[in-house]
Amino acid sequence: MADEFTTILTSLGLSTEAFIAILVIVLLVIGAVVVVIVSRPVLDIYPYLLPNARVRARKGRLFDEKHFSEIIESDNIDEITNYLRGFPDYAEHIDNYSLEKSLDIQLSETYDMIARIAPENIKKAFVALAKKSDINNIKSLITAKEANLNSNDTSNLLIPSGKLYEDIQHLIDSNTVEDVVAGLDGTEYGVVLEDALNEYKESKMILPLEAALDKYYLENLLTAANVPSNDNTAILYSYIGSQVDVNNIKLIIRAKTDGLNYEGISPYMIKEGHDIKEWKLKDLMESEDVSGVINSLEGTDFAQILNDNLQNYNETGSVAVFEKALDEYISDYANSLSLKNPLGIGPIIGFLNKKEKEVKNLKIIARAKREAGFPVSEIQEMLV
Amino acid sequence: MVEIALGTALAAIGAGVAIGFAGLGSGLGQGIAAAGSVGAVAEDKGMFAQGIIFSALPETQAIYGFLIAILLLVFSGLLGGGAGLSTTSGLVAVGVGASIGFAGLGSGMGQGIAAASSVGAVVEDKGMFAQGIIFSALPETQAIYGFLIAILLMVFGGILG
Repeated sequence: MADEFTTILTSLGLSTEAFIAILVIVLLVIGAVVVVIVSRPVLDIYPYLLPNARVRARKGRLFDEKHFSEIIESDNIDEITNYLRGFPDYAEHIDNYSLEKSLDIQLSETYDMIARIAPENIKKAFVALAKKSDINNIKSLITAKEANLNSNDTSNLLIPSGKLYEDIQHLIDSNTVEDVVAGLDGTEYGVVLEDALNEYKESKMILPLEAALDKYYLENLLTAANVPSNDNTAILYSYIGSQVDVNNIKLIIRAKTDGLNYEGISPYMIKEGHDIKEWKLKDLMESEDVSGVINSLEGTDFAQILNDNLQNYNETGSVAVFEKALDEYISDYANSLSLKNPLGIGPIIGFLNKKEKEVKNLKIIARAKREAGFPVSEIQEMLV
Repeated sequence: MVEIALGTALAAIGAGVAIGFAGLGSGLGQGIAAAGSVGAVAEDKGMFAQGIIFSALPETQAIYGFLIAILLLVFSGLLGGGAGLSTTSGLVAVGVGASIGFAGLGSGMGQGIAAASSVGAVVEDKGMFAQGIIFSALPETQAIYGFLIAILLMVFGGILG
């Protein structure tokens, strides 16, 4: 057999050594091809392994229905505080701050944690998301100065978290809204508030300042998420884009109930969302009333959601019914996205969505419990 | 210079392929599982034992590859100084190495990914441990097929016995 084999090699003009060398090279080439092919999905998955395990651990600690039932059954705010003291995630701040404030701090720390551990290609978006604390603090500061609150009361409104917290603290003693805006000069928010400040001076309403901050936050978030290099970034973009859509629709519905026209709404709109593009947004802003807005949304998921709640709105006259339905839509959408890529960004989006929902619901319960005799059934209806 | 028969040299290539690719798959898989486990332990120190168990699962592929490589080295005469292999058996030895090597590569990677997901599921819900182990064990079968075929090739290809 060996002789036959050697004969074949000789007839091919190959020596035994050359044959072994060729065999080794062929195996190496096959091996290299296999390694390249199999390593691609691994390279996509690898950066998400540690963050996903961490967020899933935290997701496992979120409250379930049983926890919420027990919290809702509490007689007063102190009982809720005592209850939350038993959970390490909330216990850290609950003795130092009011219940609502400690919840805000916890949520803010969650954003910071995600921004810290997120993979590089999506980190920018989560860093932008973590700016929510700074923006909320600036809004609180502006509101406090507009209401002429003293330094102590102003300080109580601030959440001790965010990158700019120390700078914002130095502005507590400012006398006016203009001083606050001037004090933010040199930060990214100084430029944002500059134009809106003129509107504030004319109208003496802080709405343009708040709207400018909200618009900057969402536009910044959208830009940071707009890196559609793979499935993960595309999912993140659709999640944030949908939040922009919902934010735009909420603003338009509120504006239409207040009788505002296109010119009145347009400055507050973010032009490019996920499903609602600029031309569609123009249609919505030009609608006569809420029914017109719903008709213009035909062909999107939002039309059905708003139509389902139209009768309720007509009966109550409150846009809160639409806002609750839209919030629930975002929550369901985030949940569906979280299942799309379980080895990628999915668990991070799923956790963030559930965490925001948990904090929102705890705040709803806390607010209700501050009012004596608030019915439990009504609290349950209010929960997202 | 030591004189090595062509068949024995081919068996050496087979041994290299066996442990090389199986070890690659096992290493990648174990790295994936361990990265997930570290994240879980960072949040919950009680996850250390479960993390170790899931991270150890993709080790088996390297063991299979190592075992086959040792058998090839011994029975080809490279270790222990026995008679060298014929050229035909040497070619069979390359097939033996490829069998466990490539099966181990795919199996190890798959098991690592499943194990990392399972660690995530267990840290979220401790009751998921048994299910996680079962799902993580599934990709083991491909390595077992590769190992079995490698043994059969050695037995019937004139390398063993």
